[in-house]
Amino acid sequence: MKTFFKAIGNLFRKPVTIAYPEVKTYIPNDYRGLIGFDENLCIWCRRCEMVCPPGAIVFSQDMKGKQTYHFNRAVCIYCAECVRACPKEGAIYQTNEPAGFALKEENINNGWNSLFDEAIKSRAAYAAEKKRLAAEKAQTEKPGKSIAPGDEAASAENEK
Amino acid sequence: MGKQYEIPLGAQHISLLEPLHFKFTTENEKIISTDANVYYVHRGIEEACCTKFKFRQVSFVVGRVCGLCSISHSTAYSQVAEKLVNIEAPLRAKYLRMLVIELDRIHSHLLCLSHVAENAGFEALFMKTMQYREFSMEMLEAVCGNRIQYDFSIVGGVARDLKAEVAGMILQRLKTFLPQLDELVDIFQNNWTLSLKNKGAGAITREAAMRLNVVGPFARAAGLAIDVRNETEDLLPWKEVGFEMVTDTTGDVYARNMVRLRELYISIRIIRNIIASLPESALVTETKAFPDGEAVVRLEAPRGELFYYAKGNKTQMLERLKIKAPTFSNVAAMVEAFTGNEYGSAPAIIASYDPCLSCTSR
Repeated sequence: MKTFFKAIGNLFRKPVTIAYPEVKTYIPNDYRGLIGFDENLCIWCRRCEMVCPPGAIVFSQDMKGKQTYHFNRAVCIYCAECVRACPKEGAIYQTNEPAGFALKEENINNGWNSLFDEAIKSRAAYAAEKKRLAAEKAQTEKPGKSIAPGDEAASAENEK
Repeated sequence: MGKQYEIPLGAQHISLLEPLHFKFTTENEKIISTDANVYYVHRGIEEACCTKFKFRQVSFVVGRVCGLCSISHSTAYSQVAEKLVNIEAPLRAKYLRMLVIELDRIHSHLLCLSHVAENAGFEALFMKTMQYREFSMEMLEAVCGNRIQYDFSIVGGVARDLKAEVAGMILQRLKTFLPQLDELVDIFQNNWTLSLKNKGAGAITREAAMRLNVVGPFARAAGLAIDVRNETEDLLPWKEVGFEMVTDTTGDVYARNMVRLRELYISIRIIRNIIASLPESALVTETKAFPDGEAVVRLEAPRGELFYYAKGNKTQMLERLKIKAPTFSNVAAMVEAFTGNEYGSAPAIIASYDPCLSCTSR
């Protein structure tokens, strides 16, 4: 019976709903939003990429060794694990800005997957190139060492 | 003896939000036996945790097992991983974990109560309960930075600190919530319409609950004093912050509602105590060790005992992770408690079990 009278009384009370677009709902100022990146501060250790649970950060590398940062807001879970892992304060940070929508043109899923694979490949290619250069350098620097085993073989054959 | 009919309910049904299937054998609208099938979904989370993700990343993965008890899963995993790498979380991190678990319990219990009201045909109470629940969602957003996926508990501690102004806001919002909770208790206790669907429906005896290993509010409503918060003290100091067991005797839908509502008072008390006595310490214990050996952790999620088992082999990847969700323990008793009830009250009874199938079938 009490509920009934209360329900009648509700006819004369103000609505409890809020006029949403005019009255903003509560959003904390440290809301977990988009991840920001400062190229000038980054020391390119790629630790953020290593700890990222969904793999939303990847670094590609060109043949000169210059690294580029890629971030996908649709893959990111905004856990800020990259911010905690970063050894350089402020190089990677979390803003309170919510992520926007993705358009079809962006090709945010398949485009990201191919970009991710390409980035890993580009790094492997750079590492292989570096290794090759280092081997070349070692050969040109110490020419005597590479001849030595040949000599030994030759002398062994002579002994026979 | 009348004619018997088999009536299926689920896996997709208007009163069920979860992929759960019940097959009732009814006689003159009375349910005489029930068959349950829970595994309609499989997401392969346990396998993914052992093959795709490093052990530090797994706490974010298991947080996505369930939207309602996200913090319970990530805290339980963090604790089991801490055992594997032989560290202990700092005291402040433990208190903050308890704070978020209790805020989470408020929103989970209120969601369950609102569904009981809705499935019993009381739409207005559903709206009211959801309206009152909103404060806990906002407070969780203020503490963790997100409404649903908290990502709060990480291996070694917690990810974010509690700011003084957020703590003040929680206390203030709790003050406005208390009279609202009193109002809800009054409606759930005294409303005659609701009592028709709630009192005496879906009852389970204490003996049956004990035999069928029921956990959570389902067990406590039947008079079984089972609560992990009462049993373990080593991982989270529940008794320090004022935990108290809530039990009822009748074991029906009404008793479950009352247990949940009274637990909210305890949760509010715990939150107030935590904010009043938050110790100062670091937030995370750092370590470079890799998980090794086996460990087991139990934690009281809003629905009951959550169980985690993990095995490490000194690499970044875990060898095995096993999750046992509270709903899984309760399925046997769910089937039992339907017997003898009207088919018409089945939706309200299911809602009062508070089944969480996303936890159960991973």
